[in-house]
Amino acid sequence: MGTLADIMEWTRHQVVSRVPKADLDQRDPDYIRDQLPGTWLVASLYFRADVQGLDRIPAEGPVLLVGNHSGGNVPPDTFVFTLAFCSYFGVERPFYQLAHNLVVSARPLGWLRKFGTVAANHENARLALDSGGALLVYPGGDYEVFRPSWERHKVDFGGRMGYVQLARDAGVPIVPVASVGGQESALFLNRGQWLAKLLMADKLLRLKSIPISLALPWGLNISDLAGHIPLPAKIAIEVQEPIEVDGDDQAVHDKVMASLQGGVDRLAAKRRFPVIG
Amino acid sequence: MRVERRCVIAADRAAVWKIVSDPDSYPSFMTNLERWEVTSEQRSGIGARYTVHWKIGSVPVGGLIEVVEFDECRDLAWVGITGVNLRGRIRLRDAAEGQTKVTFRLSYQAPGGILGYIADRIAVRQVGRTLGETLKCLKRLVES
Repeated sequence: MGTLADIMEWTRHQVVSRVPKADLDQRDPDYIRDQLPGTWLVASLYFRADVQGLDRIPAEGPVLLVGNHSGGNVPPDTFVFTLAFCSYFGVERPFYQLAHNLVVSARPLGWLRKFGTVAANHENARLALDSGGALLVYPGGDYEVFRPSWERHKVDFGGRMGYVQLARDAGVPIVPVASVGGQESALFLNRGQWLAKLLMADKLLRLKSIPISLALPWGLNISDLAGHIPLPAKIAIEVQEPIEVDGDDQAVHDKVMASLQGGVDRLAAKRRFPVIG
Repeated sequence: MRVERRCVIAADRAAVWKIVSDPDSYPSFMTNLERWEVTSEQRSGIGARYTVHWKIGSVPVGGLIEVVEFDECRDLAWVGITGVNLRGRIRLRDAAEGQTKVTFRLSYQAPGGILGYIADRIAVRQVGRTLGETLKCLKRLVES
């Protein structure tokens, strides 16, 4: 048993030591500006994205943007919203996104840090908000993003509501960001939480899921660690009215969930077909 | 890319200028306008700044602009300060008696090299439609 514990500790140390320390200065507005046309092309032609309600985001100062998350390890909603935020407020406005440790520590994804992506933990989130930046979080994280495709219009944070405490501590409003379409970019079959437990990935890698899906170009895709080619699903995003953190955590969380689910239902009602939109 | 649309409005230049020189009237005739805010203390004239975004493709495109030419009843021109490189101009000239020829011109260039160029080419049709519709709305507004 001692050996197994040692191996687990060693593996955890290897992963944690590779997670770069959050350095907000790594965000590079000039780099983002140069990338916007390419992302605009993909968002406009491939995902036919439609983003509404950006004017509801406070024009300045720190704000916590809380979204429902879809699309596995290649989430089009994050990509499209980042483009929309940077286009609307300009690349000059500091904007950060929290992402899973494995995402920010993967060498091929180092460019994400130039977009303002930092590892998802409370310290980094406070760092971003205290610096006056806007921060995008997906509390549902790897739990929500791998939900089965037939639950694509269900907002499910898996009971996580630490974001409310974060907003309260930082004294910032919460702006819900509802989106649909991402879960149609592949056929997600199962979260694979049982597989994550079986392989102890939940303890070693903070991976609560090893999802099973049908995705391009792999066919049967287990774990989605190498990503996939998303289907050209139409992405629709609705930014909602800010919510002040003035009740207990559960009450605020319920308000955010109700707002997000309402937005997702509205957007889903406008869709006639999966993927096509 | 440079896009230009023209129209003739059945009103004199002063009547058209009254509309195009008033920042408050832009939301009522500018098509696909997603955001329009006066961002300087000076509301109009050379040096006045506005935040303007048009819905082009999937997201609002634009940025902070500054008026660089304000030639009464003749020319109103601006340049982009943030966002895509942008120059715009609304030009008023006499047409037949009691009519004004209006030219709306937009020159823009996205950053990002070849991808920026492709984005510019793809956006040009929608930008052209936006300019054309804007002039139709302006014509309706002035002639009504």
